[in-house]
Amino acid sequence: MKLLNSFKKELILATRSFYFYIEIMFALVLLAVLLFVIPEHYKIIETRYVYLDLPQQTAAFVKESLLKEDTDGKMEAVTLQAGGKKYAAELVRKEAEEIYLLESGDIVRMLADTQAKVGAVVSLDEKNGLHYKYFLQGYESIRLKNLISVLHNIDENELEQSFNNQKVHQVKPELSPLNDRENAIPPLLAFNSCLMGMFIMAAYVFLDKKEGVIKAYAVTASSVSQYLLSKVFVIMLTAAVSGLIILVPVMGVRINYALVLLLLLTSGFFSSVLGLLIASFYKDITKAFGTIFFILILMVVPAISYFLPGWNPVWVKFIPSEPIIQGFKEIISINSSMAYTLFTSAGFLIAGVLLFFVTEFRFKKTLSL
Amino acid sequence: MIKVEGLYHSYSNDEKFAVKNVSFDVDKGEVFGFLGPSGAGKSTTQGVLTGLLKLQKGKVTVAGYDVKHLKNDMFNRMGVSFEQSNVYSKLTAKENLTFYSKLFDVPTRDPMELITLVGLKGKENIRAGDFSKGMKHRLTFARSMINNPELWFLDEPTTGLDPAIAATIKDIIKERNEQGVTVFLTTHNMFIADELCDRVAFIVDGEIKLIDSPKNLKLQYGEKMVDVEYKKGGKTEKDTFSTLLPEDKARLKQILDDSEIVTMHTKEASLEEIFIKVTGRGLT
Repeated sequence: MKLLNSFKKELILATRSFYFYIEIMFALVLLAVLLFVIPEHYKIIETRYVYLDLPQQTAAFVKESLLKEDTDGKMEAVTLQAGGKKYAAELVRKEAEEIYLLESGDIVRMLADTQAKVGAVVSLDEKNGLHYKYFLQGYESIRLKNLISVLHNIDENELEQSFNNQKVHQVKPELSPLNDRENAIPPLLAFNSCLMGMFIMAAYVFLDKKEGVIKAYAVTASSVSQYLLSKVFVIMLTAAVSGLIILVPVMGVRINYALVLLLLLTSGFFSSVLGLLIASFYKDITKAFGTIFFILILMVVPAISYFLPGWNPVWVKFIPSEPIIQGFKEIISINSSMAYTLFTSAGFLIAGVLLFFVTEFRFKKTLSL
Repeated sequence: MIKVEGLYHSYSNDEKFAVKNVSFDVDKGEVFGFLGPSGAGKSTTQGVLTGLLKLQKGKVTVAGYDVKHLKNDMFNRMGVSFEQSNVYSKLTAKENLTFYSKLFDVPTRDPMELITLVGLKGKENIRAGDFSKGMKHRLTFARSMINNPELWFLDEPTTGLDPAIAATIKDIIKERNEQGVTVFLTTHNMFIADELCDRVAFIVDGEIKLIDSPKNLKLQYGEKMVDVEYKKGGKTEKDTFSTLLPEDKARLKQILDDSEIVTMHTKEASLEEIFIKVTGRGLT
C-alpha cells in the first residue's frame, strides 16, 4: 500500500512537472519525423556534371543512349547558376541520377568545384575510343575510385555478359529487410523511451534533494526501496507510453506488442535505476551533468554503429544501448526470433535488480545529502 | 525515551568530529532543549538520533530502538520537524499531508485537522510551492504530527514565524507535551527554550557543556537580588535588596507595606546570559 501510495504521488508530481511532458513531446516529435520526414524508401539522387567533348554525331549518339534511361525520355533545357553567372545545360533525369550536360570542360570543372559534385569530360582518344576525365571531390571511397578505374578498362560486352551470368541466392529468404522508416525506429525508441528515463530520473531525484523531501521520507515508516521503486515505476510507465506513441502509428498491428512492452519496461527499469545511482553521488544536477553527459554520449555509440554496419567493434556490444537497439530491431523485423528479445529483457531485469541493490545502499548512506 | 552515550560523529570520517563524546538521557514526557549556536553540533546530533546520519561511534537508543540497527517501525513512534521546510512544492498542503499519512503503520491524524491547527485553513488546496516561507514551515511542523508521535523532534520550530504564529506553535507543543509526548527541541532561541523546556543541554563545538533545568540554572547563575522602584515623599526612589539577608528582606517588606511600588524585578539571569557565562560564547 505504501508503495502504491508513493507511486500515485510520483505520478501526480510527474504530471505536474516539466520533464514528463518533455518525454511525451519528444515522442510526438519523433513520430512526426518518422511519418513525415523519413520516407519508407529513401532515394538518393546523385548529381553529375558532364561535358561531351565529342564530334557532333558521336555526342548525339551518347545523348540518345542516355535518354533511354530518362524518366520521361526527353531532354530538358535548364539554366544553372554559379559564381553569379548562368550556364545553359541539358538535363537527363534518371531514377537515382541527374546528369547535366554542359557546354565546356571548364564549366564542368568549375561546377564540380563549387557545387561539390562529381564532374566528367568525355572525349575521344587517339584510337577514337571514349576517354573519360573525372573531377572527384577527394572523399569518394576507394571502392568507387577502383570501380571507375576498372569500368573503363574492360570490355563492356564482356561485363554485361558477366552480369547476366551471375546468380544471386538469398541465404535467409525468410528475412525481409526493414524499410528506411522502420530501420530508424530502434535507436529512436532506445533513446526516447529508455535512455531519456535515465536523465529524467536523475532530474526527479535532484528536485527531491533540492526540496529536502528525501529527508522527510526517510523519517517515515516507509523504506528507502519503496521511495526508489515508486520513481522507477513512473519512469517505466512513461517509457512504455512514449514508446507506444512512436511505435503504434508506424508499425500498426504487425508486431508483437507484448515483446515491445517487455523490452520497454525492462530497459526502462535498468536505465532509470542507472539514473538513480548517478544521482546518489551528487548533490545537484549541475555537479552530475558531466557524468550524465558522458554516459549519454557512450550510449549514442551503438546507434552510430547501427547506421554504419561496417563499423561494429566488439566493445560496442558491451554498451547497454546496443542490446536495446538490437532488441527493438528484432521485434519489428518480420519472422524474427523472440529469443533475442527475451534474453535481452531478462538481462536488463537482472542487471537492473543488482544495480538497484547498490543504489539502495547508496541512498541509505547519503540521506543527509 | 532517548539514551545517548559517548556519541561521536565526523563528516569526513577522520578525527575532525562535529560532535564528540556527547552523552545525555531524555525521559518520557520531558521537553529536552538542545541549545547552541549555529555549527555547534545540534543538527548533527539530531541527525544521528533520527537515523538520517549513520551512527559511527557511541551508543544511541531512541524509543527503545538501537539506532545502529534502524527499523522502519521506530518511525511510527516519532515525528520530525525540520529547520528547513521540506514539503513537495508541486503538491497542495492537503496532498502533502495525505501522502505522508499513508506512510505509517499506525492510525494517523486527519490532514485537515492539522492544517487548521497550524492556521492554514483555507489554504489546503494551494500548492506548497506558492506558500510563503512561514506557511511552508507551518506545513512542515504539521506534517511532523501526522502519526501522533510519542517522541517529537523539533528543529527550530518557531524560526521565521511571526510572533502570533510562533505563540500558536508553542501552545501546540505545550499541549502535546501535556498529553505525554516527549519533545527533543533543537534551537538557538533561548526564550522558547526557557518557556518550553524541562531541561536544557548547552552544546558548543560539538561538546555538551552543561545539562540542567532552566530554573536551576537561573538559581545557580542568577544574582539573588530584587530591584525596586517606589514612591517616597513624591519622589521615585530605587533600591536593590538581597533575597537572602534578613535585614534586606525586612526592609523590602516595609517598602511593600508603606510605599507605592513603581517597578520590581528579580535579578535572575536569562538563559542566554547563562549560556554566555558557561560557554564563553554567544548564540549567534
